[in-house]
Amino acid sequence: MLHFKKDMKMKNFKSFLLTTLAITAFSCTDLEVEELDSEVIDEDLSSVNVSENLTNLYNSFGAALLNQENTYGLMEITADAQLVPTRGTDWGDGGRWRQFHQHTWTSSNPDVLRSWNDLNRLTFITNQILLSGPDAQEEAETKYMRALATFLILDLWGKVPDRDPSAPVIEDPVILNREEAVARIIEDLSDSQISNLPSAGPGDPSNLRVASKASALFLRAKFFLNKHILLNGGNSGATAENADMQRVISDVDAITAEGFSIQDDYFSIFEEPATSSESIYIITGDNGSTFRIANTLHYNHNFILSGGGWNGFATTSDFYSLFEGPEDTNAPGSGQEERRGFVPNDNLGRGMIFGQQYNFDGEALETRGGAPLFFTSEMPEEITGHGEATGVRLIKYPPIPEVNEETGELEPGNGGPPFQIFMRYADAWLMKAEALHRNGNTSEALVMINELRELREATPLANLSDQDIIDERGRELYIEFWRRQDLIRFGDFLEPWLYKPQSDESKLVFPIPITAVSTNPNLEQNPGY
Amino acid sequence: MRHFLLIMASVCWFSMGSLYAQERTVTGTVTDSKTGEGLPGVNVLVVGTSNGATTDFDGKFKLSIEGDVSLKFSYIGYKPQTVKVGTRSVLDIKLQEDVEQLSEVVVVGYGQVESRDATGAVERVTSKEFNGGVISSPEQLIQGKSAGVQITSASGEPGAGVSIRVRGSSSVRNGNNPLFVVDGIPLSGNDVTAGGPDGGLGTSAPRNPLNFLNPNDIESMDILKDASATAIYGARGANGVILITTKSGKGLGKQITYNANVSISAPANRYDLLNREQYLQGVEDFGGDLTVLRFDNADTDWQDEIFRTAVSTKHDVSYGDSYETGSYRASLGYENQNGIIESASLERFNARLNWNQRLLDDKLTFNTSANVSRVNDSFAPITNNAGFQGDLLGAALIAPPTLNPDFQTLGFLNPNNLLEYNQDLAETNRVLINISADYDITEDLNFRVNGGLDYATSVRNTATSRDLVIDARGITNNGRASSVENVNRSTLFEALLNYNKKVGEGNLDILAGYSYQDFRFTGTSVGGFGYETSDLSAMINQTIEAGNTVRGAINGDYQQFGYDPDATDNAFFTNQFGQAPTLGNPGSIPIDAVVENNFGNYNELQSFFGRVNYNVLDKYLFTATLRTDGSTRFGGNNKYGVFPSGAFAWRISDEDWASDAFDNLKLRLGYGVTGNQEIPHNLHQRRQSFGGIDINADGGIQQPGRSNVAYENPDLRWEETAMYNGGFDFGFINNRLTGSVDYYYKNTTDLLIQIFSPQPAATDFTWRNLDANVINQGFELMMDYVVVDNGDLTWNVGFNVSRNENRVENLGAFFFDTGNIFGQGLSGDFAQRIANNQPLFAYYMIESDGFDEDGFNDIQEGERQLTGQFPIPLWNFGFNTTASYKNFDFAVYMNGQGGHHIYNNTANAFFTAGSLGSGRNVTEDVVESGESPSNTPIVSTNFLEKGDFLRLQNLSVGYNFDLGENSFIKAMRVSANAQNLFVLTNYSGIDPEVSNTATRNGIPSFGIDYTPFPRPRTLTVGLNVTF
Repeated sequence: MLHFKKDMKMKNFKSFLLTTLAITAFSCTDLEVEELDSEVIDEDLSSVNVSENLTNLYNSFGAALLNQENTYGLMEITADAQLVPTRGTDWGDGGRWRQFHQHTWTSSNPDVLRSWNDLNRLTFITNQILLSGPDAQEEAETKYMRALATFLILDLWGKVPDRDPSAPVIEDPVILNREEAVARIIEDLSDSQISNLPSAGPGDPSNLRVASKASALFLRAKFFLNKHILLNGGNSGATAENADMQRVISDVDAITAEGFSIQDDYFSIFEEPATSSESIYIITGDNGSTFRIANTLHYNHNFILSGGGWNGFATTSDFYSLFEGPEDTNAPGSGQEERRGFVPNDNLGRGMIFGQQYNFDGEALETRGGAPLFFTSEMPEEITGHGEATGVRLIKYPPIPEVNEETGELEPGNGGPPFQIFMRYADAWLMKAEALHRNGNTSEALVMINELRELREATPLANLSDQDIIDERGRELYIEFWRRQDLIRFGDFLEPWLYKPQSDESKLVFPIPITAVSTNPNLEQNPGY
Repeated sequence: MRHFLLIMASVCWFSMGSLYAQERTVTGTVTDSKTGEGLPGVNVLVVGTSNGATTDFDGKFKLSIEGDVSLKFSYIGYKPQTVKVGTRSVLDIKLQEDVEQLSEVVVVGYGQVESRDATGAVERVTSKEFNGGVISSPEQLIQGKSAGVQITSASGEPGAGVSIRVRGSSSVRNGNNPLFVVDGIPLSGNDVTAGGPDGGLGTSAPRNPLNFLNPNDIESMDILKDASATAIYGARGANGVILITTKSGKGLGKQITYNANVSISAPANRYDLLNREQYLQGVEDFGGDLTVLRFDNADTDWQDEIFRTAVSTKHDVSYGDSYETGSYRASLGYENQNGIIESASLERFNARLNWNQRLLDDKLTFNTSANVSRVNDSFAPITNNAGFQGDLLGAALIAPPTLNPDFQTLGFLNPNNLLEYNQDLAETNRVLINISADYDITEDLNFRVNGGLDYATSVRNTATSRDLVIDARGITNNGRASSVENVNRSTLFEALLNYNKKVGEGNLDILAGYSYQDFRFTGTSVGGFGYETSDLSAMINQTIEAGNTVRGAINGDYQQFGYDPDATDNAFFTNQFGQAPTLGNPGSIPIDAVVENNFGNYNELQSFFGRVNYNVLDKYLFTATLRTDGSTRFGGNNKYGVFPSGAFAWRISDEDWASDAFDNLKLRLGYGVTGNQEIPHNLHQRRQSFGGIDINADGGIQQPGRSNVAYENPDLRWEETAMYNGGFDFGFINNRLTGSVDYYYKNTTDLLIQIFSPQPAATDFTWRNLDANVINQGFELMMDYVVVDNGDLTWNVGFNVSRNENRVENLGAFFFDTGNIFGQGLSGDFAQRIANNQPLFAYYMIESDGFDEDGFNDIQEGERQLTGQFPIPLWNFGFNTTASYKNFDFAVYMNGQGGHHIYNNTANAFFTAGSLGSGRNVTEDVVESGESPSNTPIVSTNFLEKGDFLRLQNLSVGYNFDLGENSFIKAMRVSANAQNLFVLTNYSGIDPEVSNTATRNGIPSFGIDYTPFPRPRTLTVGLNVTF
């Protein structure tokens, strides 16, 4: 009896154990990872989808430049045409905006870091695509984007890190010096590469968002115009080579041949940036041009912009004075040149927003404290402690109001056009004029500049100096990304201006972000930081 | 096993007993002195012999004895009783419950041990000691109850996330919460409630992962603190382990229990904002111009507009029974918890069954526990990273009191509009089932298999109507809505062999096990833009309808789609890896544009483990544990981590030479290594996915390309924490004074951290194992004293105190900035730095000593610097006292923290002179502060404050009715409970306990106060009836 039971027990035990061991063995896993919403890339990068990575590349470039900070901040707010004073409690933001304007940025500046990451990530993506078997056009598009990113990195930091895109993150990137980076740009923008790009004329938004012959030519012209600076770091000894300037002239001519032209009615260019005859390369993304509008408008501009603006960005009185027109008013038709814009008393104006602000009903706007909302060109002594109304505001893209379907009345809208122009034909036009001037052909340059000035309803110039060219570029191209680079090229970037003393030569490039130096032993900090 | 041995022994004795003539039989019943229920499984032992028996299911026993002997009756949870038999042949024994003894068993992971035999720092908190009142999540039950366990709920929001730190923070990344194991199932720690999208106001705080459990279903929570205890959960034990055991039917006899609570909550504290008169005066004094008054003729208290006195209710009923071969308990619960801010609420339905069935002469035991719950959340528009417009709370702080409650657009967000034009609801269903079979193969060998399923689905529908005037993503005149659905599924399989044998002078207990758990997470998010209607529910319906319509036109699999009928190009597209689906024509949809995104990931863990306990002479106790875990989160040769531990305990008081002054004195020493793998899915391979898809502010959709989402780091490996622990358990004065003291040293190495990739790189951030250490060391002391215990009156006093010091070492020149600061004028700023030889999240900012004569920051040093202050409390205190007199009982719990600082981001962003000067409302103290309206409110020590506090967390009074022996109602109790009665603190914000998410670049943060959902003060009355 007892024996029998024992047998049963053993039998039970054995089958029980076997079953469970089987289950255990079956459930033992080799822990192979499984993906549900992503794709593992082969080590040789052959599985990278080229066209969708290109789409990402264009999207990423737009996202990196559209907003009011980061790369835009480095390119524009560090110059003389735009500043962000600290307005009481607003726009202190850890001093980042004051650092921009006063050239006191450090290697831990968050905008410098984000810009560094944004632009370098672009070169990684391009390198990754180039190893993944692109066709000839895809290769040319990718190289255009690599040249664009390399150009900006070299301009901003004076050195360009690079790495084998198939290597894992634990390998340290190498560093291209100025010569090597310049060589890569020249190679990426060779005639043979450009010839593989499609032609895209003005007015075609979907083709203007991607590389075209015209945008590559524009980039190459800009590159050769600045090449002596890119090679020498903006030292005073650097001069432009005739051959480089000749490249600028011929590339701009080639852009003209693609069908682009300067456009009458200055602010209409920015009303419909995608279809303007001047738009060569446009960027797009969430909020489109709204950043350029909201950053400067007052909170109580909420009659035209839903929720109002952020009331920060302004220009200096010196820059305001660069334009023709009376200092004390910017009312329509008060004798100012077209590009200075105007402020009507029943709407928001364009260009330089000066003086009393009004809503659609002609009512004068007030600050939040109840004072008249009157933008002044005079500024207090310090860059901090500003009120809500100091500083003339800059607007190029118009906020678009909604039209009430029932009453037909205008109501606040959600911002401006969905595009920003990154490369504009008028810039190319001025680049050619500058190249002619630098090559000694000042008279032809003067003709070009006066042709543009006439179109902009400004008095023609009698003769042309370096100063006239940099000022003309300022008047035409303010808050369009290029002011810092232009000032460096003309040797004006380190000069003192409002709230800023003379800055030292180290400020011609930005510091390498401290986190980048600490994660890559091959990366040396720029001198002076 | 012990019982089994006793039974065997008694059987032997019976068979031998027939040889002796003088023997006689004693029978009897052992009952609970209070309930009168028979107690099954009580040990009955003839004193001085090994002769004994156990009671049967009805509490009856039968024992043969010889001569005049004494019998000792002992049962876990009851005071032992020794009775002289004399000449009696029938003994009816009433055992008294012993609260002290309840804690004598602790659950240690894959088993339980008697407290006296525990070698690690393990602590049990039982349901009797739980906090009362409104408890939305189980962690709150044990807040302040255990030394070294710091529990902070993120805010006063119903169902808010809770941060728990067992012996400090050891990691420099999110994922510092302990592992929760519910009836043997380790939870994933994922927040299963679908996340809300950022509609322009910021992102919302995470939910509590445990709020699917009904606190009344919980029997006990065991906290494993030191590595020798947690090492059995090696892979995930580095932050401590909390084992939750739910109530079973064991010991119940056909018993129905009904609980009902009603609570009323109001904000415990609010800001002293300026009223109309003060505000107008203030604006004028601070540079505003009142000559043109554009304000309404109102005196609105905006806090009144958004706060409310909330009523919450809770009911649950349970039925349980135990029978000859098993027991069960079933419960149903309903809770409706309303937050003190309009529209914030949590509703929970809950059903649970625990069933235990013994078969084959008790050799085989099946255990089932199942929990089904439904949680309905309603969220107020409150975020933890709002910018200059503020979220609901920020908007209510800055809105001028002179504005009418219904103002539309005057440069301020109207909090009422925000409430009216926003709806955010989530419905979460969760099932947690665990089935185990336990088989005694031989007397010494036991085998157990355990299967578990944790399955949760959650739908979160959010809408913001076109009527809201706000500077955010085109919402005005268009409206945005989304519907997000998440599915979390985790399965568990475990097999365990347990061998228990007396070896020589000792007892050997060996456990060997295998465990496999997988975690699958999938989700779908549909977003819509451009609605004709302002009706929030209709917006949600139209979004779902639009999503379905477009989905119907897609023939095949896809990751994303976008449909924008108004667009000139790319009106309809899908993104898909591999073969793209064919697209039909969706035709008309009721909204302007719709997008869908699908996401998910899958992770697995596999573990092999063993534990040996060796107990010599009941005095020297040894434990050794080894666990090896493999995880899909690591690749190549680093998949597996090995986690050993060892511990020794010495019951000094059992030594012959030990002084009689000690009723109990035990030394514990332990060492162990545990791991951490809480990093995102698969970072060891390069992966690409489609970029985020959304509808732009202008209503257009940009088709995302493919981008890199992971940049391979094949070297990633387990983060390891080594911990040393030494401690004493003690008892004096007949165990009236009991307690324990512990010292520990915790060293975390190979820190998993997210760093900036060296550019050019596939992704901005990558994860690395940082060659640095995070050291936590400290001590814990717990004491409990029975002041009075004389029948009618009992009085207990207990306290716990712990000190934890935290330091980062060997970081060299590396540092990581964190502690994001939000608000106008503070965008992109931060307040903390992780740096070498500093505590974690050390404050790093400009030193300012208030304001100078002109009202500007009195800056001591122009550069940011480490201030020497830190946010993690150095000290944690808990104090409790309970008393009972006849039928009354009374309990008070207090808790406190000290030695740390809080950064008052709320004041930094909102309560400054300049803010008042530009027409925003502020607190009364701003007027007096001497600050100039032109002063720039930088991140400085002006806003760094001491965080010390003492809170009266819980006060309760109860009355137990005397009911007749034959009453239909067996027991009835009424109680009243007050929570958060007062806080003693010098902190100027509304609550010194802060737990905001101020993560910067993936580095977590701590101690930053930014418009938290205020904590309520709550009064609860409760009824508890047993039939």
